[in-house]
Amino acid sequence: MDVKVFQFNGCNKCYNETLLLKEDSEYSIKFISDPKSWKEEKVNVSVITGYIVPDDLKQLSKIKANSEKVIAYGSCASTGGVYALANQKGHNVTPLQNLIEDSQNIKGCLGEIEELKLAIDGKEVPKLKNLCEVCSRRATCEYLDEIKRQIELDDSGTCFNDLGFLCSGFIAKECKEKCIDYNTPCRGCKPSIDRSGIRMLGLFGTLAGNIEIATEHSVKGATDKLADEDDDLTDGLPDIVGNFFRFTLPTSGLPKGRIPSSGTLLEDLFIGRLIEEVPLISGLLGGSKSISLTLKFIESYEKANEIKVSEQVKKFRSELLKLEDELQNAIDKEDSTKYKEVTEKIRKIAGNMNLSNLFFSGFKTKINDSDDFDDYKTHIFEIVEETYKNGSVEYKIDSDGILTEIKIKEGLV
Amino acid sequence: MSDCETSDEYIKERIQNIVVFMCNECGQGSANTAGVARMSYDAAIRIIRVQCTGQIGPIQITDALNNGADAVACVGCCLGACHFFNGNILSMHRIKLMKKLFKELGYSDQFVNQYTSRAAEGETSVGDFEDIIDRLTTAIISKGTIKDGC
Repeated sequence: MDVKVFQFNGCNKCYNETLLLKEDSEYSIKFISDPKSWKEEKVNVSVITGYIVPDDLKQLSKIKANSEKVIAYGSCASTGGVYALANQKGHNVTPLQNLIEDSQNIKGCLGEIEELKLAIDGKEVPKLKNLCEVCSRRATCEYLDEIKRQIELDDSGTCFNDLGFLCSGFIAKECKEKCIDYNTPCRGCKPSIDRSGIRMLGLFGTLAGNIEIATEHSVKGATDKLADEDDDLTDGLPDIVGNFFRFTLPTSGLPKGRIPSSGTLLEDLFIGRLIEEVPLISGLLGGSKSISLTLKFIESYEKANEIKVSEQVKKFRSELLKLEDELQNAIDKEDSTKYKEVTEKIRKIAGNMNLSNLFFSGFKTKINDSDDFDDYKTHIFEIVEETYKNGSVEYKIDSDGILTEIKIKEGLV
Repeated sequence: MSDCETSDEYIKERIQNIVVFMCNECGQGSANTAGVARMSYDAAIRIIRVQCTGQIGPIQITDALNNGADAVACVGCCLGACHFFNGNILSMHRIKLMKKLFKELGYSDQFVNQYTSRAAEGETSVGDFEDIIDRLTTAIISKGTIKDGC
């Protein structure tokens, strides 16, 4: 079967993952990293990866006209993905289904290669369980007393939401990346229902039912009404867009954001995010530089605030950086066996390809069974308002820990 | 954004559909009392009766806004007087989050609101309706509504 993989804009993590299709000899597979220079020819299946903007419509219609089937692979192509957070600042990242008809979606960041194989073969993708059903943590579904932005990692048996730590597992399907296994709450890259972010927001509103909200006396109605001022609820959730709509902003049914843009798309998607979420977002941006970018964010913060980092952490981090180079080599040579080998090594340390295990001052879960976890365990860190700089990355956070300015010199886009 | 004129006629023209979810107990009760007393309110108000405002959440609000509503509001029982358990408080939490969300996207937070009323006093709900229109007017003047543009 003739398969062509097209990489549009942004992160190329899913594009790289399609290397694994080469292991199946029945496909004649070709990778096209620059769809603009593609010469039209008939194709059985076209796989679209990366985020899409309306300007790509010309290329997409060419692809659509020449292929029997079009598959949007990964969160970016199917629901907008993490790059669509820039839509908050007026950018126009669009899921594939809005531009061309009859495309099939493989959701998830990173999309699962087994599902893609089934879709290419024309077989049905099996029905998956909800993430909460396969989660090792247990929920009590009681109202929260407070919302926490960071937690100590002692309790591994209670649901994140019950601990006051927002997790979107309710609306997500089970997945391979499984951030929840690495003490990282789910952000719903693989939604099980439409408009998942909006539904999760409603559910979280209910769970937060015990938290104080501000009310005021309405002069006209002579009764109480909801007040406009900030209260415990809004202070606990400084970034609703980034937490609830990280992967699904364009498909959520919300109007397009009108915050003025202040730079490139990559910088826009970071502004307004919380400092403790930044390693998770930069890990998602993938590409060949995701590990070094994430570590630059983390290390600049640690250095400026004199957060102690143990030797063991440094060892793991340098190992990861070495693996990043090896991964790039494997991709350049289109060597699928080597790619598999290196990604397995990265997963061993970083948890998954989204680098869920990486955090400030250490790691979130035990890496080797024989290690002493206390040696490299992360702890709650204090938020300090300052400008942080490390090589090509420079960012500024305010007293709430919200990124207000950012400069990334060697761009991923 | 284009410069729209904000004359009284323009604002009046812009206020066409306001969806108000009223709970079956205090909210609707108060509206009934107002009807018996022949009080009048703006014609743009469209009342939808629900069992409890606890049924209303972000899904219903975005549905209403995407289908042409200029503003959405909930009118429930007074604080601590929900006829079920705490439905009015729960929907207040959800609406507060929606207000914050619209602010984060660069819109005004004045077109989504929650009020309370007393079934025995019709003027409470009529006063709430007036407040909804006042706030929507502020949102239109500050060009913060979803349907902005001339």
